Order: sequence, then structure tokens, then C-alpha cells
Amino acid sequence: MVEQKLIKKQDELSLIYGETYRPGSFREQLKEILTPKYLLYILSPGAEDEEIERRDFEMNKFKSKRSFIRRLKAPLTIVGIIIVFMVSTWAVFGHWISFYSYRDLAVVLHPTTFQPPSFEHPFGTGDAGRDVWGRLIWGARASLTLGLTSITISVVGGVILGTIAAYKGGWIENLIMRMCDVVSSIPGLVLTIIVVSVMGYEVTNILLAWGLLGITGYTYLMRSAAISQRAMTYVESAKVSGASEWRVMFRHILPNSIAPIIVSVSFDIGGMILGLAGLSFLGFGAENMIEWGADVADNKSRLVNAPWAAIWPGIGIIITVLGFMLLGDGLRDALDPRTKV
Amino acid sequence: MSLLKYTIRRLLMTIPIIFGVIFLTFMLSRLMPGNPFLQPGIFVKGNPEYIRALLEQYGLNDPLIVQFLKYLGNMLRGEWGVSLAIAPQVDVWELIMVKFPVTLELGIYTTVISSLIGIRTGVYSAVHRNKPGDALIRTVAIFGVAIPVFWLGILLQYLLSIKLSLFPTIGIATPGYPDPPVTITSFRLIDCLLTGQFGLFIDTAWHYILPVFCLSFIQIAGITRFARSSMLEVLELDYIRSARAKGCKERDVINKHALKNALIPTITIIGFRFGSVLSGAIMTETTFNLKGFGMLFVDAINNRDYFVINALTFMITFVFIIAVVLVDVLYAVIDPRIRY
Repeated sequence: MVEQKLIKKQDELSLIYGETYRPGSFREQLKEILTPKYLLYILSPGAEDEEIERRDFEMNKFKSKRSFIRRLKAPLTIVGIIIVFMVSTWAVFGHWISFYSYRDLAVVLHPTTFQPPSFEHPFGTGDAGRDVWGRLIWGARASLTLGLTSITISVVGGVILGTIAAYKGGWIENLIMRMCDVVSSIPGLVLTIIVVSVMGYEVTNILLAWGLLGITGYTYLMRSAAISQRAMTYVESAKVSGASEWRVMFRHILPNSIAPIIVSVSFDIGGMILGLAGLSFLGFGAENMIEWGADVADNKSRLVNAPWAAIWPGIGIIITVLGFMLLGDGLRDALDPRTKV
Repeated sequence: MSLLKYTIRRLLMTIPIIFGVIFLTFMLSRLMPGNPFLQPGIFVKGNPEYIRALLEQYGLNDPLIVQFLKYLGNMLRGEWGVSLAIAPQVDVWELIMVKFPVTLELGIYTTVISSLIGIRTGVYSAVHRNKPGDALIRTVAIFGVAIPVFWLGILLQYLLSIKLSLFPTIGIATPGYPDPPVTITSFRLIDCLLTGQFGLFIDTAWHYILPVFCLSFIQIAGITRFARSSMLEVLELDYIRSARAKGCKERDVINKHALKNALIPTITIIGFRFGSVLSGAIMTETTFNLKGFGMLFVDAINNRDYFVINALTFMITFVFIIAVVLVDVLYAVIDPRIRY
């Protein structure tokens, strides 16, 4: 009876572990590990054994991956991931979730202006009789599109310029960095307003302007990370083995110095979305785009008798930014356990 | 003495950057579609020849580089040009001196308040790590970083001004109150104090509380997060352990050994955040309808008022650069290891 149960348990465990599971005593397990080969490997510094090294490497990789995921599993990070998923769903399936079409929310003028929340309009209606709930859902589309695209432009541009500046040095570095100095010494919002006014108030121009002006920050970050790599021996050996300049820069230096950028990107997406909302709040957003910042600006004059119309869009901004920032904090903790924010 | 030398050298280093900024904003402002007398999409009375004559009169038909050199020469001589569209023929300097101090005042009060509070909360949070106080501060701080400043302003307006009528909703002074009679520093609050108008001082301060609170809340959140992380880094170092081992009081360990070293990166961040304080001030002004830099700037952009745009960008950049230089000097004062 007991034996049968034990055999059953053993079968279950083998199913999980994929091979015949032998419990064995502690001594038996020790015997398996403590082969002379393994002892030699861990005790003498110069010893090499392909098989054990490979296993060791696999084990470490597995361990680090597992601890990365474990560290990522902090409750706040999970909240961040859920929020980002939720807002992405709003952005992609806006027309299904809100039951409104773009035409209803941005083009047609309804007679029902500034109505209080009711069964028909759960969050009330705002300027031009448009449903606040619908515009809250649809606003995710603009924010995410603008935020994600412009951060991509910034990161790609900044990484390329930063690597070139760090590797080449000399007048090229000076030129790039002084240009960054000039651009970054004008407060971001002011310069963006000017650039957007030059290019015209359209979605593509706005995200281009934000993306291009965001390059400076990543250039500084990338340069400071890459400049210490320039003197490394692996760079020298790559050069000696005949790798071209571009190959050294983008296949050797770049992967070794990109970590701080990856850490900061998710957090910066939040900042980018905040900045874009501020831009449209000041009236420099694209026309006819459903955007939270513009909604706040349009409805703020009716705060006394229709507060819902100005308050809800702002909550949309907060939720989105909070999601990306929590995710960014979690990523930073998981990737770089030394810094704790 | 050497500190003075360092300051002067640091200031000289900013001159090329300032020239770059002037060049960039000049070119960008001239590249905007339309001109001060003819904005795109707005119907303007007046025939094209009249507009051409106006452009000719202000030298706006010359090649851009000639215009730039002329502008630069005039600027160095202290002639910043006249407003062309929003307040025709008014000297730009006069326009700015009325509006710009409001923004600067907001920015300076915010920076001072938020540095004082933010560093303290950051240190508290780091010292009491993973305790309820720390959790509370961190939660508030992450919300503070995520809240758009203009929305916070609107929320406070609704709750405190409209619902509870504790604070005035908009504006810089109660209607009917006079401006301070003499402008000494152009900062309204300080002028009121200097001229002894305490009633006006209290009224203005009353109007400033909400905007400064909004801006400070966001700055405090950012500074707290940064101070906390740099404090945590410092607290793990060896010399903290040796300070404790030699029997220092915990308060001295925190305030003398740890804080001084954690302060150095934090102060740098405060300097760099001054730019975002100014950006935030622009939005707060729009929310609270304070007639400052933000409204003037938006007006100037919409009307293509070239000289106003150039002068405003120059002023705000200048202030920002000065703040960064100040922080650098402060950095050298705090950290004796820095050689200047």
C-alpha cells in the first residue's frame, strides 16, 4: 500500500522533472556532485573542463534569469504592467470599449453640452456635447502613439550620436556635445513650442519635434556610458582583428554600454507623455486629435458647473504615466539591483 | 579667491552656448510660416503691398544672416527691438520686465521650498526604509511625479477655491488692489515688503499659495525620489559603518556623514530641474491666469512677434544657465575634493 503510493509519487515527480526521479539520500547526492573532476574545477583556479563549465554557465544563466523575473515580480511593478496593458487595450480597441466612433467624439457637434454624469453618459459630457468617458478611452491612442514613437526616435538618435561621440572623440565629439549643450539649455517645453510652430501643428510634426529634442538626453547618457569602454581591451582586439570602425562602434561598444539607457527608457516614456499633454494643454496640439491635455484645456473654463469634464481627462494622464513609471522603477530594480528608487 | 576665478571661468564657458541659443532661436523664429503682420489662417485687412512695406521698414526682407548680425549687434548694445504684433511699438524690454518676474518668482520660490522639503523627506524615507513612513512617502512621490502640473492646479482650484472658497481662483491680486508703487526688484512679493505695504503683501501671497504649491508638489516628489536613492547608496558605504562603529550618534551619522555626501548629486539634479520648473511655471500660469512669461510667450508665438520670441527665449535660457552655473559653484563649495 505504502509502496504503491511512493511509486505513484515518484511517477508524478518524474513527469515534472522530465527524467526518472531518484530521491536518494543526501550522501548519495553528495557522491554524485563531488567527483574529483568537479572538486578540481572549483578548488584550483586554473582548471578547465568543458562539460562542467558549460553546465556552470547554463546554471548561472538560468539563475540570473530567474532572479530577474523574481525581482520583477514586486507588487508595484505588476500594477504598472497591468496599467500599461489596460491603457494599450484602450488605445487599440477604443472603438469597442467606448461604444463611440472617432466621428462621434471629435467631429460631430452634439446639443448635449456639459451634462452631469448620467446612465447614458457615465462621466458626463464636455465641450460640444462629447462624451467624457469616450474621449478618455480614445485619448490613450494619441498619448501612446506620440509617446512611444517619439521616445523611439530619441533613443535611436541618442544612442547613435552618443556612441559616435564617445568613440571618435576630437572635433566630432566636441561638435556633437556642444550642439547638445545648446539644445538642452533651452527649457524643453519652450523649444518644443517653437519647433512645432515652425513645422506646423500636425501629429507627425509634434512627435518628430519631441523625438528630435529628446535626443540630447540620451546622447549624454550614452556617451558617458560608452566613453569608459573605448579603452577596453576587447575594443583593441576587435580593431586588431580587422573590424571596421562602424563594426567596433555598433557591434562591440554599443551592446556593452546600453544598459543605463534600457533602464531609463520606460520611466522616460511617462515623462514624454506628460510633456505632450502639457504641449496640447497650451494649445499647440494637433487639430481634431482626441488628447487628454487638450480636453483639460478646453473644459477648464467650465470648472464651476461641469468639473467632471476637466477632471477626468487628467486622471487618464495620471494613470498612463503612473503605469509606465511603476514599470520603469521595477525594471530598474530588476536590472540594476544596486540603485533603489 | 580661487572660487571667484572658478566662477568666472564657468561663466565664460557659457558664452558660446548663449550665442548658440540666440542663433538657434533666431533662425527658428524666422522660419515659422507667416509673419508678424500676416498670420496663417487669420484674415488680415490690408493689402499685400502695405505688408511688404511694413516688412521692409523693419528690415525683415533682408537675407537671414544679415538680419541675424544686425539683431546681434543691436542686442549687444541693449536694443532688443520693439514688439510688432501683440503690443505694437512697445519696447520688448519693457514688455518682459512686466511679465517675466512673475514666472521667475514662481520658479525661485518653488525651487527653494522644494529643495528644503524634498531633501528632508528623501532622507527620512531612506533612513526609515521599508517602514510605513517610507511607504507613504514613496507612494505620494510616485503620484507626484506622474501628475500633470496643470491638472493638479485645476483640481485644487475646484476643491479649495470653488468648493471651500479658501483661496482665490485666478489672478495675482484681488481686483481693485493697486500695484506696488515702486518697482525695486520687480518681484511683487519682495517689492511689497520693501515698500512696507503689508496688506498688499498678504493679498499677493494669498494668490501665490496655490500655484507655488502645485509646482512645489511635483518638484518635491522628484527631489525626494532622487535624494532617497542617493542616500540609500551612501548609507551602504564603509565609512558609515566605521562612523557607527566609533560610536557616533545616529543623528550625526545621518546628518553629518551621510547627508553631506548624498547632497552632492541631489544638488546637481535640483539645478537641472530648474528648467522643468520654468516649463511647469508656464503651465501653472495658464491654469491660474497669472500674466507671466507663459501667456506672453504663447501670444508671441501665435502672432509671430519675432523680437518678443527671441528676447523671451533668451531670457529664460539665460536664467536656466545661470542656475546651472550657480549649482556648479555650490557643488564646489560643498565638496572640497573638487579642484577649481
